[in-house]
Amino acid sequence: MTTDNLKGPSSVIDPHQGMGEALVALQQRRRLIQGLKVSAVWIGLIILVTAAMLMLHISPSYMVQHYDVILQGAGTTLYVSLVSITVATLLALFGSIARLSSNSIAQGISGFYVSLIRGTPLLIQIYVIYLGLPQIGEQLNQLGFPFIGRLFILDAVPAGILALSLNYGAYMTEIFRAGLQSISYGQREAAIALGMTPLQVMRRVVLPQAIRIIIPDVGNQFIAMQKDSALVSVMGVWEITYIANRYARRDSKYMEMFIVAATAYWILTIISSWLQSRLEKRMAQAYER
Amino acid sequence: MSAEPIIQVTGLHKWFAMLHVLSDISLDVEPREVVCIIGRSGSGKSTLLRCINFLEEPSAGKITVDKLVVEAGNKGRKHRKLVHEIRLKTGMVFQEFNLFPHMSVLENVAEGPITVKKMDRSKAVEIAEMNLDRVGLLFKKDEYPNRLSGGQKQRVAIARALAMEPKVMLFDEPTSALDPELIGEVLNVMKKLAEEGTTMLVVTHEMAFAREVADRVVVMAEGEIIEQGKPVDVFNSPRDSRTQALIERYRSGGAK
Repeated sequence: MTTDNLKGPSSVIDPHQGMGEALVALQQRRRLIQGLKVSAVWIGLIILVTAAMLMLHISPSYMVQHYDVILQGAGTTLYVSLVSITVATLLALFGSIARLSSNSIAQGISGFYVSLIRGTPLLIQIYVIYLGLPQIGEQLNQLGFPFIGRLFILDAVPAGILALSLNYGAYMTEIFRAGLQSISYGQREAAIALGMTPLQVMRRVVLPQAIRIIIPDVGNQFIAMQKDSALVSVMGVWEITYIANRYARRDSKYMEMFIVAATAYWILTIISSWLQSRLEKRMAQAYER
Repeated sequence: MSAEPIIQVTGLHKWFAMLHVLSDISLDVEPREVVCIIGRSGSGKSTLLRCINFLEEPSAGKITVDKLVVEAGNKGRKHRKLVHEIRLKTGMVFQEFNLFPHMSVLENVAEGPITVKKMDRSKAVEIAEMNLDRVGLLFKKDEYPNRLSGGQKQRVAIARALAMEPKVMLFDEPTSALDPELIGEVLNVMKKLAEEGTTMLVVTHEMAFAREVADRVVVMAEGEIIEQGKPVDVFNSPRDSRTQALIERYRSGGAK
């Protein structure tokens, strides 16, 4: 079943070598032509959309003048997303281990967390954290616990990060759980038979293998998060969407500003996808030698 | 057979839901003895083996390994500690090898001593290299498992179990997942271990191996031990009709 014998290439020279080379060259040429055609379609679509915009009196000069404020917002978007994906990854790691554990408390807490967060809209979660929690904070202040009370009153950026982390942590818990479960039971058994404790089995055998499977999904979640972070604009965080909205209202240039904003997200995600595919390629080589 | 048995299974039962997989099994294995368990698929022979190191929790009965006694049905910290100690005394080889794919061959074999026994890295590597040499694969120590053939994988798995210096080796159909031409190299390693005096309990379909290497053959059917004895006796004059059928099938070429 798993016995592909990886012996070195035979030293005998194949008299039909040229045939294989020609076929490979043909394949490469076809792939190149296909790629060029697809690129042409993309360029065509972009020209078409641009032409339509110009006909509708969208002002390109306004867009050019204001791309730099959007760029500032992109910094905040990226910062919020990066911090949130890191926290969410940690939450998901512990959440997934808890979901799979036999400990009833750990199982209960993690199951409750995932169910609650996945069952409610992100926007509501943001409102609860930014507008709801300070209410509790105020009450704690009045009751004479200002130190604890202060923890419930969050600035917009930390509140946004907390909301995104909690939300993505719940979804990623399920992704991590699937990743951990995809490691065959035989791996666990081999480790148990050696005498490893459950923690050692997780740390030495299951996690290192599961991480390879999980990493591409974390990349996908990061890309999704960059776009979902637009929701924190409701708290007045100066990220892409908030800035676009502000200028759009002030100058009544809605289409212009939102196109610039959309383009900024688009470029961010294209860069992230590219980084992700590079990472995946490198991961694929990890077991080779 | 005067010495105290190293493995002692007494009154073992195993239920999978409403399926009675093992029924009142009792079996002793003496030090330095090689015992082969044969029987048709589903006869419970693998489950019996897996109950000995508690990969399966027995439903009832008693397991003794090297004077450590564990009663089925116990729970709690003391029980877990005993089970852990039994696992340290038993080395297990699986049908599907179960090598750790993210570790090199050497790391696979040194993993037990380093993580479980908290041994110095250099000492663990020394032990790992010695055991890789025993299975003839020291020259592959820096390879990753996916670059090995099935037979080589299984030999590494044997070295990994040996590196923990167990009192007994448990083999769970070690050649059943192998291409026919790769079975020989694994059986040869096992034969060598037997000759060195390793105590071995082997669940197998390889009748020729059982006949040649085993000190005793145990025949299982429908969750019970139906017959056991010296290979010559069991193979030449089987008493139970099910044993006769098993051996007949093997002789007529349908070894599995």
